[in-house]
Amino acid sequence: MAPLVTASGLTKKYGDLVAVAGIDFEIREGECFGFLGPNGAGKTTTVRMIHCVSPVTSGTLTVGGLPAGIGNRALKKMTGVIPQEINLDNDLTVQENLVIFARFFDIGRKEARARIEELLRFVELEAKAASKISELSTGMKRRLLIARALINRPRLIVADEPTTGLDPQARHLIWQRLRQLKTQGATLILTTQYMEEAQQLCDRIVVMYQGKILKEGVPGRLVEEEIGREVVEVRIPQEDDEKLLGQLSSFACAHERVGDTLYFYCRDGHPLMRKLVELDLPNYLNRPATLEDVFLKLTGRSLHE
Amino acid sequence: MRLSYRIAYVFLRNLYSYKRFIVPTFLVSLVEPLFYLITFGVGMGAYMGAFGGKPYLHFLVPGVLVSAVMMSASFECLYGTFIKIVHEKVYDSLVATPVSADEAVAGDIVWASFRGLVSGSLMMAVALAMGVAPASPFRLLLLLAFMVFMGILFGSMAMIVTSVAPSFDFFSYYTELVITPMLFFSGVFFPLERFPGWMKTLAEFLPLTHAVRISRAVFTGEPAAGLGWSLAGLAVLAAVVFTVSIRMMRKRLIK
Repeated sequence: MAPLVTASGLTKKYGDLVAVAGIDFEIREGECFGFLGPNGAGKTTTVRMIHCVSPVTSGTLTVGGLPAGIGNRALKKMTGVIPQEINLDNDLTVQENLVIFARFFDIGRKEARARIEELLRFVELEAKAASKISELSTGMKRRLLIARALINRPRLIVADEPTTGLDPQARHLIWQRLRQLKTQGATLILTTQYMEEAQQLCDRIVVMYQGKILKEGVPGRLVEEEIGREVVEVRIPQEDDEKLLGQLSSFACAHERVGDTLYFYCRDGHPLMRKLVELDLPNYLNRPATLEDVFLKLTGRSLHE
Repeated sequence: MRLSYRIAYVFLRNLYSYKRFIVPTFLVSLVEPLFYLITFGVGMGAYMGAFGGKPYLHFLVPGVLVSAVMMSASFECLYGTFIKIVHEKVYDSLVATPVSADEAVAGDIVWASFRGLVSGSLMMAVALAMGVAPASPFRLLLLLAFMVFMGILFGSMAMIVTSVAPSFDFFSYYTELVITPMLFFSGVFFPLERFPGWMKTLAEFLPLTHAVRISRAVFTGEPAAGLGWSLAGLAVLAAVVFTVSIRMMRKRLIK
């Protein structure tokens, strides 16, 4: 199938600052595509170019065969945006927020009324239709943002960190709704720093760092390729590394020292664990490898500030 | 510029939000003219004798009408728009829809003009109640139309200031150094004839001077010299500041 979004050499500069440094990617119709990366990696800038609110500095970017650009009303009409920042209209009620957005998209009054009723049900806010925005919890506000993004029945949905600051219940509700939209045929673009979110929702992801794409792939396969199946963590002082590594030299596991922990990346962690038990070390554990390990391996385990 | 019928949607959004402020803004719009007309018109007017054969109040009203429009439209595009950009993020959500940034800005200018018209109309109602009326009902309608035009002009001027404002404090420069002096140098409260030459020249560069001249001529029905030039000058200025304000706001909104 032809890709819905195609970027080649996509670059965004703010003065001297390069936010997105010539990236290439393709997003297929009907899939959920995730941009993963730490703060400032260029994820939001990339999706802002896709949904036509930020001009492309250089390179090409097409959505549905049309070049993305500030003035492209046709693309904006087929796109729904769930923004990172809660930018609901505080002067209006829940219902009015949706009514006005329906107007922005040229949706007729009668159709808008039916659509709003349906959407409020979808995000479980029927009871809040007449409420002021200030009376909503953060989770409700995020759900209303989803309803607002769907008012135009978008073919492409852009969700920019849609669950930031939510408790687990609210987060799971939003994940369910996003998955539901995908099964209804929408293409979903997601940015996130939560690995679990990417694993839960995305068919394919790219890991971004400092404006570049470091890796692209299917979440599960990326973990296997980059890390293996299991991770063994050993908390020992760094001085003891040499001695321990000598004792473990027969095991085919890659290792990495970060802070107070020595990480071993293995296909199977059991033999290594048996040896550690035998050595009677004070503090170690064995767990499945996750996308978080891939992410930290690719972007480094230190703080990004 | 990308302007279309969608400007009306932005106006509608503002109308929705206005519902919550309508009572306080009407009260302010009523108290302000009463303050001007009673203190200056009645209080000071008592010491001033006749102005061209009529009480001072009749001189004052046409000038105060346009200054009310100026104040109202300016404040809407300064504080109102700034809040919508920086605090409420209304513009962020707007530009992600088929409504363009240009239309969002134009919609806010048209809205400011409407707010100006409301203030001017309330002022007119107070003047009518005090027995000061335009020369004919047709002239009353003409004045209302002129108020809409003045709202666009002064709203656009304020929008240019907002496009470069880092914070609220910045607006004081404009209100204290441009708006307030204009109120006193444009012949609103007294005729400009006794000003020294250089001040008269200065006054000719203030848009409010021309607006007051036109308003007074329309109100009283007494023709004044150079009215055509005043109107043409204001029309050109309005076209320029409207265009510039949209371009500058676009720079602020689209990054």
